Amino acid sequence: MENRPLEYDYTVAKMFMLTTIIFGIVGMSIGVILAFELAFPGINTILGSGLAEYTNFSRLRPLHTDSVIFGFTISGVFATWYYVGQRVLKVSMAESSLLMFLGKLQFWIYILTVAAAVVSLFLGETTSKEYAEFEWPVDIAIVVVWVLWGVNMFGLIGLRREKSLYISVWYYIATFLGIAMLYLFNNMEVPTWLATSAAGETHIGDWFHSVSMYAGTNDALVQWWYGHNAVAFGFTVPIVAMVYYFLPKESGQAIYSYKLSLLSFWGLMFVYLWAGGHHLLFSTVPDWVQTMGSIFSIVLILPSWGSAINMLLTMKGEWQQVAASPLIKFMILGSTFYMFSTLEGPIQAIKSVNAIAHFTDWIVGHVHDGVLGWVGFMIMAGLYHMAPRVFKREIYSKSLMASQFWIQTLGVVLYFTSMWIAGITQGMMWRAHDQFGNLAYSFIDTVTVLHPYYAIRGVGGLLYLIGFVMFTYNIYKTMTAGKRLDSEPASASPMGA
Amino acid sequence: MNKLYLWGIIVTAAMLGATYATVGYQKGGLNGDIINKLAIAGAVALVIITVFVVIKYVRQMQTDTADGELAEESWDNIGEYKNPLPFGWAVIFLGTMVWGMWYWVIGYPVDAYSQIGEYNEDVAAHDAKFNAQYASIKGPRLVEMGESVFLTECVVCHGLSADGIDGQAANLNERISFKSVKYAIDHGLTGKLIGTEAAMPDRSGLMNANNNYAPITDKEIDEVSKYVADGFKDKNSAGAKVFAGTCTMCHGANGEGVAGMAPQIDGWNSQLIVNVLDYGKVGAIGRMPVMDRLNSKQKEAAAAYVMSLSEGK
Amino acid sequence: MFHWLEKNPFFFAVGVFAAIAFAGLVEIVPNFAEASRPVIGTAPYSTLELAGRQVYIKNSCNACHSQLIRPFKSETDRYGHYSLSGEYAYDRPFLWGSKRTGPDLHRVGNYRTTDWHENHMKDPAAIVPGSIMPKYTWMYTKMVDIDTAFAEQLTDAQFFAVPYNKPVPMKELDVDGKPKTKIVKMGKSIAEANAMALVEAKDIVKNMKDQDIKDAVNKRGEIPEIVALIAYLNSLK
Ligand code: HEC
Ligand code: HEC
Ligand code: HEC
Ligand code: HEM
Ligand code: HEM
Ligand SMILES: [Ca+2]
Ligand SMILES: [Ca+2]
Ligand SMILES: [Cu+2]
Repeated sequence: MENRPLEYDYTVAKMFMLTTIIFGIVGMSIGVILAFELAFPGINTILGSGLAEYTNFSRLRPLHTDSVIFGFTISGVFATWYYVGQRVLKVSMAESSLLMFLGKLQFWIYILTVAAAVVSLFLGETTSKEYAEFEWPVDIAIVVVWVLWGVNMFGLIGLRREKSLYISVWYYIATFLGIAMLYLFNNMEVPTWLATSAAGETHIGDWFHSVSMYAGTNDALVQWWYGHNAVAFGFTVPIVAMVYYFLPKESGQAIYSYKLSLLSFWGLMFVYLWAGGHHLLFSTVPDWVQTMGSIFSIVLILPSWGSAINMLLTMKGEWQQVAASPLIKFMILGSTFYMFSTLEGPIQAIKSVNAIAHFTDWIVGHVHDGVLGWVGFMIMAGLYHMAPRVFKREIYSKSLMASQFWIQTLGVVLYFTSMWIAGITQGMMWRAHDQFGNLAYSFIDTVTVLHPYYAIRGVGGLLYLIGFVMFTYNIYKTMTAGKRLDSEPASASPMGA
Repeated sequence: MNKLYLWGIIVTAAMLGATYATVGYQKGGLNGDIINKLAIAGAVALVIITVFVVIKYVRQMQTDTADGELAEESWDNIGEYKNPLPFGWAVIFLGTMVWGMWYWVIGYPVDAYSQIGEYNEDVAAHDAKFNAQYASIKGPRLVEMGESVFLTECVVCHGLSADGIDGQAANLNERISFKSVKYAIDHGLTGKLIGTEAAMPDRSGLMNANNNYAPITDKEIDEVSKYVADGFKDKNSAGAKVFAGTCTMCHGANGEGVAGMAPQIDGWNSQLIVNVLDYGKVGAIGRMPVMDRLNSKQKEAAAAYVMSLSEGK
Repeated sequence: MFHWLEKNPFFFAVGVFAAIAFAGLVEIVPNFAEASRPVIGTAPYSTLELAGRQVYIKNSCNACHSQLIRPFKSETDRYGHYSLSGEYAYDRPFLWGSKRTGPDLHRVGNYRTTDWHENHMKDPAAIVPGSIMPKYTWMYTKMVDIDTAFAEQLTDAQFFAVPYNKPVPMKELDVDGKPKTKIVKMGKSIAEANAMALVEAKDIVKNMKDQDIKDAVNKRGEIPEIVALIAYLNSLK
């Protein structure tokens, strides 16, 4: 082992920090537009009816989901990996010019991929499968990016000086493997150009069009095996990787319990995949697949809560830190929202509850208390923690960070409470029969009642977006105007007033 | 009491209040529906459990201190305690696993449950209740029931005021429009308005008995269409004469219809409307779809409602 | 053992992979053969219907509309018979959706009509006051892509044995009590496919009001997207 501290090289981490922020703004702005389009449908033609094809709700919705998932979240995962990975493995990117090159290559191919994805979705080129909308050329590019990341990850691991892998690394490895497996199988599709010779042609229609390998119920099974676990390995596993590093590091506390980390990790790995059936309750998949999905969803509460509890207990006796640091607040509240959504999910996975919740805004509420309160908070906290160490400057403003925290918290609360009420209301109205045994409500009755909730959700989302812009500004000022640091802070990140 | 618990109670109460308000909204509240009750119970449990469990840990942040034996390793200066598993967590984890296995193998083994079976039972119960409570209602109650059918099934085409939304579907406040009569004569009709295949001939098959059985003329078509659409009022009009010469033999002297021959056209009758719902209709305006999701009582009720709109005319 | 795994990344990764791969097999494999058998009465999509389906996908109608009627009294009252697995045998991809901002459409062909869709897609709120569905005005002027639909049919027939040009059983019985059959035709060349789609389109526009659309199809031999979309919606029964 070397004596002098390592100089870590954050070039690639910085690149992905930038894209995290850019795609965050893009994706969330589209989210806010979507939210207001449902409250005030006139906004569908916001750029005039000539452009309505590109600005209406249905064309923009996949752009929102894919830009926050494959843009914001995945960038956040890469950015934190290229920071955390080096540090917990005790090896610098600068030590291998090959890994450095591959990291940069990964970034640039990623940029091209995202650009292609955005353009194709705007044009309506989608396969319709949620979170797997892209046609095969984009799929291939995504696979290339992913493989490059894997090579980098295992390259760094191969060079490591720390013999034993830190918990965060477990979770990053799982992210890599999980997404790789899921993405490949769910995107099995036959490009149509392979079949055009039967008509004596070499080329018919769009060259990038494809047909899914699976049909109907089978396609649904594979898609939700993917969809459910994409949530697992995109919104849960890598975010847990982040909290396991950033919370103890920022607070200077040791992890509460190794055993708890261990059981939570392997429990999560084992249980998660079995629960996908909860997206298909009361559908045409066999009853036993549905029951299995429900049962494992309940079991899943425990390994999920295990990590959150481990984090909360890591802060045992450290309330003064929670009170003083908005950065730690983000992580503590994030863990709390993680607990909330991993209890809400299993409750919605109970068949009788799902009978009401499925297809309604209650699901959308569940999604967003997870993604806003947990994924968003953790990624921002990670970047805040990284900024002083990467840019060697103090965080520009603590008070700005504190206001951001409260604004966004209010935003999340407005979002999920309004959707909770909207969803239960709508679900119950769909089921209601009147005094004559007829359906009590026509469909449109169940739409117009939602108007106030859609408006409140829009406001909540807007607050969250405003908070994100404040975050962006704070990071930008940190880079350019933060007070310079002579040495790296050991734990608590220094912040200007 | 600690401030935190107070907050916990406030947050919980607010969420539950919101849920309560949601339920209060509904026609019939929880409606005696077990699914509604379980969903609400789930929502309530979610809030209470999360809030109070988190408070428990926050209390530990406030009052407890970190301790335990540190592991020898540390990563980037992050240490790790060798603390045991939190007891409650471990027990519940084990418990849910055992419960899961039990449910799977013994409780509800693979084929013990069928959602279609459950559905069939539910429908049977609903139908039995429906037959017991509504099979014999008539008069104003039947009209009321019909209104309820109309509001969920028909408004999308016929509009809230049943006027047909600017000619996109039939205006049900009157029996028939000029345009539709004219269309029937011009093109004939091959629907099942009287429940049989009996067809209305097109203009080439309509002869005027007053006029040496010559085919009906454009002028006569306009006249008779006006007469019918106006509700057979002006008995001295040219249209009335045409009607008597051409249409009476099938539709009756005043358009009251002839059983097995042709439908009533001077007003609605229940069977006619039920036939429209059973078989649909294609006419001047477009196509009226078959409404086969409705049961016979609902169709009868819808008919009663439509008739009430024009008081039978 | 776990400490050992944590020091051996390769075996660690293998362990993780084994843990996560297993469940997928259990979940997916047993259903495969069973679910792909079509029920009687399910036929492949015609060229124009398939083109319409592509319009539906292109505009992400599935973001707001499900095509899955669950076995609840309230749903079968509203939408008709609950959905059956075999009805989806020719659905690549499946379009069940996961959110009902608008109503289910799995059987919308039973209770809505060509001219209703024509009016509704242009301005939903004009037909259903309070509707929050966007207006799809461009579908009335953009022409649909029959070539790609044809390419998809070729792929279906060649790779997935979808029975084009072959008899498939229908629900109705013939005089001998056997199911009647139906043959869904597929073109042999692009030109033929386009000609067949045009014949279908002419049938649809008979019931439409918009003169520009009628002219496009009848006079210019072009097919606006809306015509294909309606053909698809009418096929949902
Ligand atoms: C040969 C018998 C026959 C004659 C003559 C005849 N009708 Fe009819 N008419 C029918 C039948 C049968 C129907 C029902 C068609 C159907 O079920 O679609 C009908 C339907 C109609 C309808 C449609 C009612 C609705 O609800 O849309 C109108 C209007 C009508 N007839 C008017 C006339 C007039 C006016 C004449 C004379 C000029 C006439 N009919 C002559 C047999 C006849
Ligand atoms: C998809 C649209 C649609 C729906 C839903 C619909 N209708 Fe109609 N209906 C029409 C159209 C279009 C016509 C006009 C047909 C024509 O004469 O051209 C019509 C005509 C009618 C007529 C007149 C038939 C005649 O003899 O002239 C009656 C009665 C009627 N509808 C009742 C109902 C009732 C009751 C319901 C609901 C249970 C209903 N409709 C639902 C579209 C619809
Ligand atoms: C923003 C959500 C949204 C999008 C996107 C959307 N719809 Fe709708 N849709 C609705 C709502 C809400 C209703 C119910 C009110 C109404 O009938 O307009 C509806 C109703 C319908 C109906 C009537 C169904 C019935 O039973 O009355 C059809 C058909 C339909 N939509 C087709 C489409 C198609 C095709 C697309 C895509 C090109 C589409 N919709 C996109 C929200 C949407
Ligand atoms: C124990 C953990 C969890 C369980 C058991 C669970 C369960 C569920 C259930 C039952 C649904 C609804 C399916 C439906 O009826 O449509 C759902 C949807 C969803 N959940 Fe979770 N959830 C969990 C945690 C999370 C977390 C932490 C996140 C994100 C951070 C998340 C993101 C989502 C998303 C994005 C959807 C929407 C999927 C769709 O598009 O339909 N879930 N979840
Ligand atoms: C500014 C904040 C945001 C707003 C206002 C917002 C708004 C929306 C809206 C309106 C929808 C469509 C819901 C519907 O169809 O009814 C949606 C869906 C979704 N959003 Fe967001 N969003 C925001 C941020 C995010 C973030 C940060 C993420 C992920 C990291 C995210 C992930 C998703 C997902 C996964 C869905 C699909 C849910 C489903 O299909 O059930 N959103 N969002
Ligand atoms: Ca794909
Ligand atoms: Ca969804
Ligand atoms: Cu899931």
